[in-house]
Amino acid sequence: MTEAQPQTVYRSLLGGDPRIGWLGPGLALAIALHVAVVAAAFFLPRLLDRPHPLRKPVIAHLVALGKPRDPRLMPRKETEPPAAASSSSAPATSGAPSSAKGPPRQLTRQEMMERALAGAARRTRDEKPDPERAGQETGSPGGTAASVEEGEKYFGEVEDRIHANYLVPSVVSERERLYLSATVVIYIGRDGSIVKHVMTKPSGNSFIDQALVLALQRTRLPAPPAELAKLVRDEGLEINFKP
Amino acid sequence: MKRLLLLALAAGTAAHAQRPTIDISGARVQAYPIALAPPSGAPEGADVMDVLAADFDRSGLFRLLDPRSFLADPAKEGSSASTIDFSKWTAVGAQALVKAAARVDGEVVKVEFRLFDVPHASELLRGEYSAPRAALRQIAHRFGDDVVRSFTQEPGVFQTRIAYVRETENGKQVVVADSDGYGPQQVTSASINLLPAWMPKGRALAFTSFRDGAGAHLFQVDLGSRAVQQLVKMGDFATGAVFSPDGIRFAFSASQAENTDIWLSPIEGGILRRLTDSRGIDISASWSPDGKRLAFVSDRAGSPQIYTMASDGSDVRRITFQGNYNQEPAWSPKGDLIAFSGRDEHRVFDLYVVNVQTGKVARLTQNEGTNEKPSWAPNGRQIVFSSTRSGKKQLWTILPDGSNARQVTNEPRGASDAAWGPLPRK
Repeated sequence: MTEAQPQTVYRSLLGGDPRIGWLGPGLALAIALHVAVVAAAFFLPRLLDRPHPLRKPVIAHLVALGKPRDPRLMPRKETEPPAAASSSSAPATSGAPSSAKGPPRQLTRQEMMERALAGAARRTRDEKPDPERAGQETGSPGGTAASVEEGEKYFGEVEDRIHANYLVPSVVSERERLYLSATVVIYIGRDGSIVKHVMTKPSGNSFIDQALVLALQRTRLPAPPAELAKLVRDEGLEINFKP
Repeated sequence: MKRLLLLALAAGTAAHAQRPTIDISGARVQAYPIALAPPSGAPEGADVMDVLAADFDRSGLFRLLDPRSFLADPAKEGSSASTIDFSKWTAVGAQALVKAAARVDGEVVKVEFRLFDVPHASELLRGEYSAPRAALRQIAHRFGDDVVRSFTQEPGVFQTRIAYVRETENGKQVVVADSDGYGPQQVTSASINLLPAWMPKGRALAFTSFRDGAGAHLFQVDLGSRAVQQLVKMGDFATGAVFSPDGIRFAFSASQAENTDIWLSPIEGGILRRLTDSRGIDISASWSPDGKRLAFVSDRAGSPQIYTMASDGSDVRRITFQGNYNQEPAWSPKGDLIAFSGRDEHRVFDLYVVNVQTGKVARLTQNEGTNEKPSWAPNGRQIVFSSTRSGKKQLWTILPDGSNARQVTNEPRGASDAAWGPLPRK
């Protein structure tokens, strides 16, 4: 019987096993993991960052001045939002006497903010169009905007101004008020005037239809930008009035 | 404002291939501008017109135009569509026009009303309404309800009545009055009587009373004969009866063995059924309009909050989570809202509505005294409640959006516990 030789135990995975050389399984695993991480960092963004099929406009709301309210407390009474600018919502053919002109008053913070925003929008709109303007691969040959956001700017303003006059009479039953809709096509002149409107799909309720016509008559629209003027004058703008 | 912008620049017919499209939603509701022309004929016509104007104003449906702005001469233009110069009414902003001619025949006042659609220069409604001189207010209420129905296809509530509790030297007494507060008639005479509730068809009232000297229990009074009889006597007290929409059951609160729960009883009497069995206090039941559920108040979670349950007591759901004292739920006739009074951080009770589906709470009153005990008009377009905003507690009406508050009663010692009655029977 020969005496058995004592067996060497290698406790560290990083330690080299003289029988298989310096590159042990732990080191091989670490290298493989590093390669995988680098590959993922390179390929995953390309796989996941697909363009969204539809981009919805982002609506920003100015937050009212005040302190956050504890959600456990009873809510405060909701206040009416400030009325639309009088210049835009005044009746186009108002027979009502106008009030006497008073001394100039100091602008409120809200009014100053609105004027600043309107000025910024106007400056942007009045910029000369670039002859090599950019577009989208999915855009229309007749399209005029470089991006969805830019094309929406004017129509968003149109929407705001008409919405300010979108008043439904209280005598319309709630059942009809909440479910009826109507479509009107308006044709906008170069100065922003609504030269014609055609109700292509009446609501079926004469009070609502009448209110829509009244809303259009009361609305003064801004002049369309040069690149949209022909489109909104000849083809018109379709407005779907919904509850 | 819910906003969606679509640039429909691609698809469609060739002619309209490039027409852009926008959606506009979130219309605001505006009271309908109406002109009440000065009536012709007997002077009683003016009295009727005043009542009609007050009805329209309180309803929130109409915006009354100032007669001083009228351009037309009522005496000259007549009262038919062919003789009225509608352009003069359009110029003052009228969308609707009411003309009236009154005459007196003995003790009967007769008023011929006409309602016109000003933009379309057409007559919408015409009728002669008559009533004894002592009841000429009813002429205005009847025509007013016809006008509301003509426009909205929904019933008006000008002919309905309101029950409430009047403070008197001899305690608290139950009173029934027209919905505008006129013609109050006291139907109880002694003791302390509270929480009137309309019984089916509006012929009788249930109320809570201490009249038998053995605590508070439920009684009923016939509005014709004024006869009072006991409805329920059980346990330590029984209070707050409310009748199901189908009129065959009523729910109430009763305390037995120091535990207050909601109970259900057939209207003809019979076996009582206990709907709640929590260790807290469960009170103030209110039926949903379809009779399938009940709203109630419970402090089972530590503070009084609004809950709902199925009419067999199952499926209990907590509805309110804000504030620490919410009470007096009243389920709207349209079923979507529950009005209630809640105590805010200033320890003042105000009116709120909670959307049954979403749980969203909206505040109706604020910084105007204490406001309590809401009760819906049967068409769901107004709420009557008690308020201290003018001094002593009086009844007021308000629209479900918190606007158009109008005082209804002017009781010398105060009024509370309003219950709006059902629509008049046809």
